[in-house]
Amino acid sequence: MFKWVKRGKIFDPTGGANPPWMSEFAQAPCVLKFDNFIRVYISCRPPPDAKGQYESRSAFVDLNRKNLLEIVQVSQTPTLSLGLPGTFDEFGTYPTSVIRNGIEIRAYYGGWTRCESVPFNVAIGLAVSQDQGVTFNRVGNGPVLSFSIDEPFVLSGPKIRRFGDLWQLFYIAGERWLPNNGKPEPVYRIRMATSNDGINWTKHSRDLIERRLGTDECQASPDVFFSNGRYHMFFCYRHGLDYRNGNRGYRIGYAVSNDMTKWSRDDSRAGIDVSLEGWDSEMISYPHVFELDGEIFMMYLGNQVGRFGFGLAQLNGSLT
Amino acid sequence: MNWRKIGRIFEPARHSFKGGVMEFAQSPQAIVLNDCVRIYFSTRTRDTQGTYLSHIAFADFDRKMENLLRVHTDPIITLGSLGTFDEHGIFPINVVKYEGKVYAFTCGWSRRVSVPVETSIGLAVSRDDGLTFEKIGSGPILTSSLQEPFLVGDPFVTIDADGWHMWYIYGTKWMKITERETSPARVYKIGFATSNEGIEWSKRAGQLIPDRLNADECQALPTVIKIRNRHHMYFCYREATDFRNNKNRGYRIGYSYSDDLQNWVRDDGNSGIQCSTEGWDSDMMCYPNVFRCDDNIHLLYNGNEFGRYGFGLASLQAQQ
Repeated sequence: MFKWVKRGKIFDPTGGANPPWMSEFAQAPCVLKFDNFIRVYISCRPPPDAKGQYESRSAFVDLNRKNLLEIVQVSQTPTLSLGLPGTFDEFGTYPTSVIRNGIEIRAYYGGWTRCESVPFNVAIGLAVSQDQGVTFNRVGNGPVLSFSIDEPFVLSGPKIRRFGDLWQLFYIAGERWLPNNGKPEPVYRIRMATSNDGINWTKHSRDLIERRLGTDECQASPDVFFSNGRYHMFFCYRHGLDYRNGNRGYRIGYAVSNDMTKWSRDDSRAGIDVSLEGWDSEMISYPHVFELDGEIFMMYLGNQVGRFGFGLAQLNGSLT
Repeated sequence: MNWRKIGRIFEPARHSFKGGVMEFAQSPQAIVLNDCVRIYFSTRTRDTQGTYLSHIAFADFDRKMENLLRVHTDPIITLGSLGTFDEHGIFPINVVKYEGKVYAFTCGWSRRVSVPVETSIGLAVSRDDGLTFEKIGSGPILTSSLQEPFLVGDPFVTIDADGWHMWYIYGTKWMKITERETSPARVYKIGFATSNEGIEWSKRAGQLIPDRLNADECQALPTVIKIRNRHHMYFCYREATDFRNNKNRGYRIGYSYSDDLQNWVRDDGNSGIQCSTEGWDSDMMCYPNVFRCDDNIHLLYNGNEFGRYGFGLASLQAQQ
């Protein structure tokens, strides 16, 4: 089992100190390194509308590279606008995964639309920044990864990587909608696609990670980190329904692979779980692992899927 | 081109569908079988909220197109399950014979919140001469992409020695609601894709047929036939708004031709077919389908109110 030492909650959007569009939630942290700071991309939300529905907006928090507990800057405006009427990302951009590509920075993100029979649909969009990741412009008004024969809806949770010559996109794909007495909930699983240019993708069209909680298990945040010759995936998983109940909510899982296609799941090695009390005592989710100045860290979300911010853990030892 | 109108050959009100009077017979599309010409079309039911759902039925005619042999209203293809792209209707359906099977390229509809609908193209295959179709998956084969962000639909497929060709439409804009419209108006254009086997398609990117009215012209339902060495395309086009009741802004039949499938010359003046001065196709003509049967070339089309009153037939006269 890995040994993660929790360093506590780093950023809490609640409390009124931030602009209205980031008054709650700081979801799906993703790190981009700069010389003197690290930029943590997150998704925040303004208060819900009259029907109780949320939009999700892209933001960042900069942390002192020498002291990750110190916030040095918070984005003052969303890093990406919402999509035009009728487009796939009209109602939210969440989550976001960023990567450098020469002088530009690319952001792959889940774009949210609203449907009649089910509450939402999600497809994966692509936006590019030319100003060191402060603002992003979408490459097109449509998605860069959309639905297909065996991935009919809810393509989300992108994690962009470049191992070797290819681009890899790990993401989740919806499998079924559970009717749930008129409040449908999707079942989704982890998949991947590869590309020569990050724009034209070939889907592998298979589930990467076996289920542990039965046929309705939902898997998210497939965060892949290469270390000691192997690919290590930290992800989160939960029950399909009634997941706001702490015992059925998100936990962090782990799988390892030699080639990124065959994965061995072994959650017992993940080494990080809910705390006995406090902000991450009911739920722990959306892991993101990164290396910084010789140390390995994990950002993650706590209770209510990041409603009250994200936290940091530090690996004691190495990922083997 | 010189078409002789035969007249309306199918009136839905004379038939029943799912226990009521049949409403609408839209987008007639033919395949020629040994003993008949089978014409598929979309008809409608209303759901529990009174909103329309489009379903596929067919009518068989003799090969001289003189007699209606039978109308088939039993289920041919099911609508999609919860949350899928074709949950709320299939309209239109394009049928192609291939290696003893019939391939149906479908335009599936699902309802949205900020705009009325989204569409994508699916594939189903029949092994019983088109009596019943089985979908190859619950998701689409062609859908939104970076530069074609929504409303991918209206497929028309041909197969020749060069492979599979698909003409289709894609949305470019959802317009803000104006005083004359009750919901956002859409703009869509004709595109083109190719495939080696009919399942994996490559979009050829961009608008194929130039606008005639203005940049907001809506172009729909392309149908293509090769006569000698020239490809002839019929389609329909209209203004983006105020097109339902204003006959000067409603659907008309457009025409283009190409000798290489790349460059298309728009030449509506030589379409050879116009609205009638009175009767069932005097206000509108739309949803053309051109097909060859024995030594004849026929054109199926809808008239007033988008096919509420059925479809008609015209036959190509010998060239001078």
